[in-house]
Amino acid sequence: MKRSDFKQITPYVHEIPATFRADMRVPARFYADGELLEAALGDKSLDQLVNTATLPGIVKYALAMPDIHQGYGFPIGGVIATELPDGVISPGGVGYDINCGVRLLATHLHRDDITPHLDRLASALQANCPSGVGRGGSVRLKRQDLDRLMEQGADWALKNGYATKMDLERTEENGRLPHADASKVSERAKKRGLDQIGTLGAGNHFIEVDVVDEIFYDEAAQRMGLFPGQIVVQIHCGSRGFGHQICTDYVKRFQQSVHQYGIKLPDRELVCAPLSSPEGQDYQAAMHAAANYAFVNRQVLTHLIRQSFAQVLAGTGLRDTVYQIYDIAHNMAKIEEHEVDGRKRKLCVHRKGATRAFGPGSAVLPDAYRDIGQPVLVPGSMGTASWVLVGTEKSMAQSFGSTCHGAGRTMSRSQAKRTIRGDELREELEAEGIQVRAGSLPGLAEEAPSAYKDVDKVIEVVHGAGIARKVARIVPVAVVKG
Amino acid sequence: MVGFEVVDHTADWSIRVWGRDLADLLRQAALGMNTLMVGEDTAVSPPTITRRLTLDADDAESLLVDWLSELAYWAEMEQVVFPEFALTAVTPTHLQATLHGGPVAELLKHIKAVTYHNLAITPTASGLETTIVFDV
Repeated sequence: MKRSDFKQITPYVHEIPATFRADMRVPARFYADGELLEAALGDKSLDQLVNTATLPGIVKYALAMPDIHQGYGFPIGGVIATELPDGVISPGGVGYDINCGVRLLATHLHRDDITPHLDRLASALQANCPSGVGRGGSVRLKRQDLDRLMEQGADWALKNGYATKMDLERTEENGRLPHADASKVSERAKKRGLDQIGTLGAGNHFIEVDVVDEIFYDEAAQRMGLFPGQIVVQIHCGSRGFGHQICTDYVKRFQQSVHQYGIKLPDRELVCAPLSSPEGQDYQAAMHAAANYAFVNRQVLTHLIRQSFAQVLAGTGLRDTVYQIYDIAHNMAKIEEHEVDGRKRKLCVHRKGATRAFGPGSAVLPDAYRDIGQPVLVPGSMGTASWVLVGTEKSMAQSFGSTCHGAGRTMSRSQAKRTIRGDELREELEAEGIQVRAGSLPGLAEEAPSAYKDVDKVIEVVHGAGIARKVARIVPVAVVKG
Repeated sequence: MVGFEVVDHTADWSIRVWGRDLADLLRQAALGMNTLMVGEDTAVSPPTITRRLTLDADDAESLLVDWLSELAYWAEMEQVVFPEFALTAVTPTHLQATLHGGPVAELLKHIKAVTYHNLAITPTASGLETTIVFDV
């Protein structure tokens, strides 16, 4: 693919027409400036975007956010919407880490309060919040507990003392997707999920203590309770082996479904089935179970983070309250109503490495945020800034209420591992005043900031295009990684 | 020619694998994935665990995904890696395997899943070849 294949629609929107390839059903649009467009041409991500434009039932266009990078099947940073009842749902369009997402917690503490305790806090977070490959969590579930957990989501966490009502109000879908069905989840998925609640996992997942660096939208920041110099905490993780297995099971099952429904695809990872079909319904029920599992996972980690603050600040006279700003998914397929061609339509919006960004007035937002729009949490690469945004009317009109989810990689993991040393990177981050707790130094190297795009540039695009509005920039002071 | 090599992939990990026949390809794919999980030295000594496995699939690509998914599952659940295996009765839709291995102290990489992304086993002058993308 070449730059000349794109037609510029606005300064930040570039379109590949539906005539680009015979199997495209709709055009593909990419939110980017010139530099990010050039960067995306460096891997297969835009070819993957074009592939998603072939899915049956797709409406309007296939979208890519400025943090797009090459994934498998869908690009990471991809958004597509299919129309119900017969549009398709694609497990690969959600990804293996179903409801991978981000939670932002806040404290009443100022940076100066926490500095003398930061070393101990980072160590307490690492000790209390299990991370890395194969580490089980502290929550011991029986099989019937797991079935209840996956069907009730965050309500299970509330009943079992891991959550507050405010946590649930400030979680996408209140932390509970409907119609989750344990009978649609394999035994193997349940085995993988049994001891992984309250664990971070490995890869790019993390817990990060941050400081609010700058406020850009006073009213929204005040509503969220954000102020300059404030200590906040981000959690990035998902549904762990439970979700990975559900996706594996349904990608395998759908290999047959595509033949049954006469669906032709350019990549077997894009397998899908009509939402109205038994296969589509079964996947949706299982995927919702995994989404609920992920909401509980982040909720239990929140509980462990609260315990860590309480332990470290005991006897200091400092307030150890940790309250929730918001929790948002960035790997999910959701049934939503959006206006297309002047008519409200019921759509299945797939966001693969993209964040829901509902604008002001949306009925699904908590009262506290309804008039400012939905908080959007965009973590940057390790050691760099992250952003709090809000959804806008333009995101509703242009991008099915969606925006970016992170910085987006530019360097392959193998290249990062070859060229960056984990121990040197840790020293560099610590020299910048960032406490680092990492289970694996090679794993740390793969997540080096130089392997990612500049998140500030990604944010300039979504803010400039109007599909999200800047609220606050936050910068890290401690990172815990698997 | 048999073997495997790591191929650059932006977000995840990928290996290219080649073998004289399907059994060879399956063996090399497992060795390649083991290398991602535990590093160059994949030996487990002495092997303390023996597992027998029978798989049926719709086609050779699905068989390959299922085979590697089994190995990734045991690595995640039991921290067990199998560097030695005898593959018997291999057809494009069926395999039987006897695996020998044991627990490892540390897994360097967590294979979340084995994907079908652009997965195709293709004939070459000297056998078969494919490229596999893992979600990590």
